[in-house]
Amino acid sequence: MADVSLRNIKKAYGKVEVLHGISLDVKDGEFAVFVGPSGCGKSTALRIIAGLEEITSGELSIGGKVVNQVPPAERGIAMVFQSYALYPHMTVYKNMAFGLKFAKTNKEEADKRVRQAAEILQLTPYLERKPRDLSGGQRQRVAIGRAIVREPAVFLFDEPLSNLDAALRINTRIEIAKLHRALNATTIYVTHDQVEAMTLASKIVVMNQGRVEQVGAPLDLYHHPQNQFVAGFIGSPKMNFVPAKVVAAEGGSLAVEFGEARPLPIPFSGAGAQPGQSVTLGIRPEHLGEGARHGMVLTGTVEAVEHLGEASYVHVRRDDGTLLTARSPGDSRAEIGSRISVSTDVDHLHLFDAQGQAFPRHSKADAA
Amino acid sequence: MTSIAMAADTSVGRRKWPVHIVVFLAPAFLVYTVFSIYPLIDTIWLSLYTTDDTGQAHFIGLGNFVTLLTDPVWSKPFWNALRNNLVFFAIHMVVQTSIGLALAALLSLPRLKGAAVYRTLLFMPTMLSVVIIGFVWQLILSPLWGISRSFLATFGLGALFAPWLGQEGTALITVSLISVWQFVGIPMILIYAALINIPDDLIDAATVDGAPPFYVFWAIRLPLVYPTLGVVSILTFVGNFNAFDLIYAMKGAQAGPNYATDILGTFFYRTFFGYQLQTGNPTMGAAVATMMLFIILVGVLFYLFGVQRKLQHHLA
Amino acid sequence: MPMVNRRLNVNRIAVHAALIFYTLIATFPIALVLINSMKSRNAIFSNPLSLPGPGTFDPVGYTQVLEKADFGLYFGNSLIVTVVSLAAVLIAGAMAAWALGEYRFKGNTIVALYMAIGIMVPIRLGTVSILKMVVGMGLINTLTALILVYTAMGLPLAILILGEFMAQIPRDLREAARCDGVSEYRIFTEVILPLIRPAVATVAVFTMVPIWNDLWFPLILASGDGKQTVTLGAQQFIGQYVTNWNAVLAALSLAIAPILVLYIAFSRHLVRGLTMGAVK
Repeated sequence: MADVSLRNIKKAYGKVEVLHGISLDVKDGEFAVFVGPSGCGKSTALRIIAGLEEITSGELSIGGKVVNQVPPAERGIAMVFQSYALYPHMTVYKNMAFGLKFAKTNKEEADKRVRQAAEILQLTPYLERKPRDLSGGQRQRVAIGRAIVREPAVFLFDEPLSNLDAALRINTRIEIAKLHRALNATTIYVTHDQVEAMTLASKIVVMNQGRVEQVGAPLDLYHHPQNQFVAGFIGSPKMNFVPAKVVAAEGGSLAVEFGEARPLPIPFSGAGAQPGQSVTLGIRPEHLGEGARHGMVLTGTVEAVEHLGEASYVHVRRDDGTLLTARSPGDSRAEIGSRISVSTDVDHLHLFDAQGQAFPRHSKADAA
Repeated sequence: MTSIAMAADTSVGRRKWPVHIVVFLAPAFLVYTVFSIYPLIDTIWLSLYTTDDTGQAHFIGLGNFVTLLTDPVWSKPFWNALRNNLVFFAIHMVVQTSIGLALAALLSLPRLKGAAVYRTLLFMPTMLSVVIIGFVWQLILSPLWGISRSFLATFGLGALFAPWLGQEGTALITVSLISVWQFVGIPMILIYAALINIPDDLIDAATVDGAPPFYVFWAIRLPLVYPTLGVVSILTFVGNFNAFDLIYAMKGAQAGPNYATDILGTFFYRTFFGYQLQTGNPTMGAAVATMMLFIILVGVLFYLFGVQRKLQHHLA
Repeated sequence: MPMVNRRLNVNRIAVHAALIFYTLIATFPIALVLINSMKSRNAIFSNPLSLPGPGTFDPVGYTQVLEKADFGLYFGNSLIVTVVSLAAVLIAGAMAAWALGEYRFKGNTIVALYMAIGIMVPIRLGTVSILKMVVGMGLINTLTALILVYTAMGLPLAILILGEFMAQIPRDLREAARCDGVSEYRIFTEVILPLIRPAVATVAVFTMVPIWNDLWFPLILASGDGKQTVTLGAQQFIGQYVTNWNAVLAALSLAIAPILVLYIAFSRHLVRGLTMGAVK
């Protein structure tokens, strides 16, 4: 088991830089998830850690040792690929035993490890089958088994659940979580699905266009996003963003105006803010309810209502054109075309400046 | 096939073969049958006859074949041609396939600079006519021009030079190698296509598993290319047993020296068409053609039911 | 550069060395012929490897060839035979491939297999009968005979390639046209044919090259004066003037040049077609 440490890693293909200086640490035993939209560089970062891509500049360490020049097989890593990458002409047994040949493991030890891994993953009845005779979920498990037998210091997963159907995805997610607890292995997992990130990770690394946006525990990122990108990426449905203007900023407090009746004081530190400055308010749908009960009220016309059973999502089009999503109880009776007010407590607000950076809250008003 | 298509079929008259299908198939079917299939069947039929001096044809069953295989006048050149053809094929299988495989493996390396240029140049000989190839090599290997001797001499091997094309012992091998030189592009390109179709993920997984590059080729990429090697083999087989042009261009229909380069194709040509002192004998020629057909069929059937089945079992 | 690469770089040098070595083997003979075809006889013998220069340039070979043999005619014959055969193969082949792939009818599989036999079994073996037939039809020594034979020869492979390609055309296009009540013939000519244009390049190469380069059938069916193809013409000419090296080299160069030019122009299409269709 080992730490993984990236120091200012840059990666360029010819003149095009795809990673602009990534630095982060994954501690021994942690389950770190790299998450972000397509093209953000998360897979590239993973492949660099694996040794499948060269590092243009920067330093990568595994277990305290700098491994920039070390070939993949000697880094103590094992990788599970999105497409499973099973050798089609070999049996499940041979697929799992393949890597052990090069680690110079003797035959009995190799056999023991393969059978143990097969046990854990319930693959024992399939050891003599070929990959084409297995279902998607079974192939996935063989790919994981192939990684386990090498007893690596670090497990790398590259979007392993993308090719599975929805139900299988949830089951396999739970299996992976269980496996991590059993093996207590350092794991780095790449996905574009923020639900996977939230449920599996002990630490999430949000990436965007070759940069790290924020690193932290899942709930941390949920409650305290440091910028608008992270705020919009984490949490489903997406956070509502309402454009606003600062009307008053005095040392300790801020008041903003956002196209409704009157300006609203909000519990954010006013330092550095100027009246007339454009800002963005952020409200999660689950914090936005029907009615005008709470401090901040927004009005508009109901454009659509989605009933999911346990909840309803009411989509409201404000007069200035922005669209809001509010979460209502399952029996909401909101009518399409009718005027509606939705409101939230100011304690649930997020505030971002024109560059997307989050304003710090007043310490006493930390949201629950 | 969908219900709509089937409705289209049955709505136009309730026949099993709607008009438009017949129209679409007819031209190809007719030309192919008349000029490809019928001649083959007719040839087989013809081989069961013999013509006497008056030009009358008599049915003699398998008599021609008996003559071909046992009468020294015919059997000697026949077995000689067959033997030469087998040598010709063996050299192709060994040399052409290995070089083609090696070139394909090199060309399919990731991020190889100039791969397209290499591919184009390496495939060039395959595009040229055997007539040209034959004469070009005749000139190059000619003792008169002396290029080959000088070339070898630069490596200190000048003494090795000999008029290989003119010597009985070396003529066949030389011609075979020239044929390999020309056609190596085909296995090269077919194997190359198969190699680049192997998902990169598999190579990555093997690298992470610790396999050194040569082992990755040997244990992962090569096995996945076996089906293509099978196709290449059968194509080579059929092509070799049908070969004629190169030998004719380089050595004429006599396929000298002293029939050392005679293969079934040239033997067939001489038999049915005649050449210099030998008059043509259509029925005997038909018999030779039927023998060639038989040999090719044996090879093809062996491939389809022996090799291909085994390959399908081995892979998806 | 990171040191991990050094091991790979050394291998890269070896790879390029091997490739360059074989590429020279592959192209040198051709280059040699082209270069020497434009040199004087003396220069050919004394200095085979040199490029034609002021002292050695001599197009005498070409003038002789063009005087003594009507290469223009041969070229024209080859062109006619090749292009007409290709057209026939494409049209008849596309129609057959379409019918076999699209419609389910009794005997579909058998017909498909029947047409595919020609890929494995060489048409030449039936030459005795073909000759008899051609003489009987009065087509001996005509380009028509060649065209008919080559069409039959090229159909099986063309049907295979076009069939595979057509299978990739999305269902929906054909369904939509049928829903509109369009006749099957119009679907074929207006929907399908335009879509198979990429495959035409592949079929063209696989069909045209063997026809252009063939020696057997021109030799047997159309060897008379005025009907020779370029391949046969070159072979006959060389056989006749075998000691006249200038003329021989020039004739070879003339026969090589058109193919080379075409090949270099279309090499990308060819390779792409082969790599696409070859995965069978």
